[in-house]
Amino acid sequence: MFPGLQLPELALSFPLGGMDIAFYAVAIVMLVTAVFTVAVKNILQSAVFLIFSFVTTAILYLLLHAEFIALAQVMVYIGGVVIFVVFTILLTSHLGEDAFATKIPRVFAAFALSIAFVFVMVKCLLPMPELSSGVVASAPDYSSLQNFAMRLLGYTQDSFIIPFEVVSVLLLMTLICAITIARKTKDEVEKEKEVKQ
Amino acid sequence: MFVPSVTNPIGDFVRNLVPQVTAYLPVAFQSETLDSVVAFLINAVICIIAVCAVNIGSAPILIYMERKVCAHVQCRLGPMRLGWHGTIQTIADVLKMLFKEVYAPSGADKLMFYTAPMIVLIAPFMVCALIPFSKDLVVADVSMGIPLIIAVNGFGVLGILLGGWSSNNKYSLLGALRSGAQIISYEISFAMILLFVVMISGSTNLMDITMSQQGTVFDWWIFKIPVLGFIAFILFFISSTAEMNRAPFDIAEAEQELTGGYHTEYNGTPFAMFYLAEYIALVTNSALATTCFLGGFHAPCIGIAAVDNVLNMVPGLVWFFGKVFFMIWCYMMVRWTFVRPRVDQLMDFEWKFLLPVNLVLLTAGAAWIAISG
Repeated sequence: MFPGLQLPELALSFPLGGMDIAFYAVAIVMLVTAVFTVAVKNILQSAVFLIFSFVTTAILYLLLHAEFIALAQVMVYIGGVVIFVVFTILLTSHLGEDAFATKIPRVFAAFALSIAFVFVMVKCLLPMPELSSGVVASAPDYSSLQNFAMRLLGYTQDSFIIPFEVVSVLLLMTLICAITIARKTKDEVEKEKEVKQ
Repeated sequence: MFVPSVTNPIGDFVRNLVPQVTAYLPVAFQSETLDSVVAFLINAVICIIAVCAVNIGSAPILIYMERKVCAHVQCRLGPMRLGWHGTIQTIADVLKMLFKEVYAPSGADKLMFYTAPMIVLIAPFMVCALIPFSKDLVVADVSMGIPLIIAVNGFGVLGILLGGWSSNNKYSLLGALRSGAQIISYEISFAMILLFVVMISGSTNLMDITMSQQGTVFDWWIFKIPVLGFIAFILFFISSTAEMNRAPFDIAEAEQELTGGYHTEYNGTPFAMFYLAEYIALVTNSALATTCFLGGFHAPCIGIAAVDNVLNMVPGLVWFFGKVFFMIWCYMMVRWTFVRPRVDQLMDFEWKFLLPVNLVLLTAGAAWIAISG
């Protein structure tokens, strides 16, 4: 039917096939949502675009076979950080309803800074030989939950049980601090009772 | 060229079938890459259709069931006119809902207003893809099932908060804030119970968790650990009820106080999506309870060979849905039996009772594992 037809050789442009296509698609979505996060006038909409940007970052981690980091990204940033950002926006009325104007010198300075940043990144990162060749170096189940947990909670030479426990103490401290700040003092409780009566 | 693949028995079947079919095509179209791409696309479509069929198909059945259960609890008959015992009533209601005009209140943030119902639907659909319905029937058999469920649940809160805010209505905003606070709080104990299951079964994969309960009824996690399993099951039941915003924890939409909560301003299809998300969450949470505590798709064997052989002849899918509908029935009975607590009582219950009990339960579970080996 089509004697001369050959499937296009995809090997040159996309050495990893579906993975490469997925990477470019995800990267474009990520960049677009990131730009919208700073460009949108409404502050709640910008929070929502931030969420989509985080989701695409998580997908990028998934493409790199770092499943746990991807899930931690979703759990911590979307389930935690952004929800609290949205909460604070909802509780502060009229915040961000008027679009704040930025003056031209500030826009210019921002452009100059970002171009300088891109220049430095390209100059420093591109010459690195490990980056230019996209070879997967680690073992297939290097980032599996089992290995990850053994490494994090083990007590051999190259594992991290002590930092892990120290971090948990730190978290406990912040929790107790939060409760102390939020808690009512005796005077306040008595005052409330008087008001009720 | 690397092409991602869907790894389950049906996926393998399609992968085998596609090269046999493409062999009839002209030579120009025959290549392994094309075959694998086509097989992947077909598998993806099958997966999507399966998840949608379970989720959207179960909603009318559940609405009918809810009406009937509610009616019989209150000594009524429920829908009786349309079809045999009112069976077509829900379909008529769904059609009515879909043909309604969709409009947003003036002053509402249109983009957020229409995005919120879609965000709410993300979590139940993704959880549904992870549930093993039978030995060969699981869409995504991923190794990190439980962490994924915990992570994805955050989207539900987000959709509710956005929906409430963008409606530009005081009652909606109040309902959204209440429900956000509630879901965030109860998410902690929900995650902790799932961690308890992970700890005792030794895996985060839902299929492995199901397989670890093979054997008789007494190998299910609800009975296998004396007392602790049953307490964990009850705690899961309470926290998942609160997660789903169902009565007695429906502070978020409390009709008598908030005229309907975060979806006051929604109508037509967007409202149907909120409603659908609620009922799909009912299915997925019941399925999760079944998988984690009630032996998943395993038959309730009792250890007598003659009886067990008969029970094992029934396919796992039937057992699974039997258990799921039993769980749903329990959720519905609770909904129409108990009274709604006040909002501060609800928060006190979570932070001062449920969370400490969960921590003790985790410790006790670890002790049980250490003692029993």
